[in-house]
Amino acid sequence: MTKKDKFELVEKFIIENRETHYRLAYSYVRNKENALDIVQDSIFKALKSIDRLEEITYLKTWFYRILINTSIDFIRKHQRITVMDDEILSVHLPKLEDEMTDMDLQEAIDQLPPKYKTLIILRFFEDLKLEEIAAVTDQNVNTVKTRLYSALKKLRIEVGEEFRL
Amino acid sequence: MKKIDRLKKSYDNIDIPPELNDVVKDSIRQAKASQKKRPFLKQWTIGAVAAAALFVSSINMSPTMAQAMANIPVLGSIVEVLTVQKLTLDEKTYQADLATPAINGLENEKLQASLNEKYIEENKARFEQFEQEVAEMKKAGNGHLGIDTGYEVMTDTAQLLSIARYEVNTIGSSSTTMQYDTIDKQENILITLPSLFKDDQYIKVISSYIAEEMKRQMTADEEVSYLDFETIKPDQNFYITANHQLVISFDKYEVAPGYMGVVTFEIPSDILSNLLVSDVYIH
Repeated sequence: MTKKDKFELVEKFIIENRETHYRLAYSYVRNKENALDIVQDSIFKALKSIDRLEEITYLKTWFYRILINTSIDFIRKHQRITVMDDEILSVHLPKLEDEMTDMDLQEAIDQLPPKYKTLIILRFFEDLKLEEIAAVTDQNVNTVKTRLYSALKKLRIEVGEEFRL
Repeated sequence: MKKIDRLKKSYDNIDIPPELNDVVKDSIRQAKASQKKRPFLKQWTIGAVAAAALFVSSINMSPTMAQAMANIPVLGSIVEVLTVQKLTLDEKTYQADLATPAINGLENEKLQASLNEKYIEENKARFEQFEQEVAEMKKAGNGHLGIDTGYEVMTDTAQLLSIARYEVNTIGSSSTTMQYDTIDKQENILITLPSLFKDDQYIKVISSYIAEEMKRQMTADEEVSYLDFETIKPDQNFYITANHQLVISFDKYEVAPGYMGVVTFEIPSDILSNLLVSDVYIH
């Protein structure tokens, strides 16, 4: 495969999966402008370092890794800003009680340290396999498993049969 | 578990802003633009300059070093490849970006001039043809047309220089063609595929190896697919790697469906050893 073809493939992947990538970024920063910035930044980084993607089969995990690192970097840089636009809005909106508990859980996930949060998002929202998560986060499968368990424990979520780790 | 299901649902329902599409496409466009400014070759040139600087300072530093260096033949003639000409056209739906390489520093100036002339002529003709096609398309309404040519140095050793020139044509989908020139810098000759071998048996040997290799790759990986392949052309595209391996190259669509792009096969040197005129280049 030539560089040109590889570039085309990556380009296609980025365009086709733009909404997934946006959601992933959004779940870290909870704000439209920042999520768009992260998507943009990640595309730059990816296309610039395309040589480091050795096999096209790793495209997805490779891009996720860039996206997540960019998101976490962003949070780190903007740590002092604790209140986020979209959240202020939702706090003022009337809600059903049921949704309130969901909000609490959502907040609890947001409060998790990034390394745990990433695992929850990838496993339960993005439906990635443990092996894939291991590749994205660059740790071994056992570590992923242990950390997922402790993240769930922190959240007091019980893992049902249908979500076997 | 219901809770996390509902959370997943709200995750899936994260609003996608309408500007996302433009942000993504603009980012890709900008990344592309910044890439073109920093082509493959520039990195190579920087390396060469750094190496040259290192040489100069080490020669200055020690007379013994200078003496030792004088015995290395490469130092006498540094052969390099540069971009001499850029032809570009940038209108909304019509894009051309042609980079023409030139070789510099070959002792055989006649060979060097003829190659460089070939490269310039080739791109000039392509550009003129492109302009003509654009004019015709404009007359007929409007459309998309793109051409992009450039080059990469595949091998650059004391002995060999292999340059690949690529041409990408975009009309809806894109087609890619590759052409290679391999030069013996010491003997100052252009190497052709037939010139490497004693007789034309190589066509059969290489072809049957490639056919087998295609089969093997297709069984090993479902995503790999090749069209029916019979034989290479006597002057099939090729280059020689720094490790003295022969690489046979096929253009996009030549032996495989388009998504496979340009495909190359490295031929094991041991199946060629009996057929080669000499093992200087390939072993």
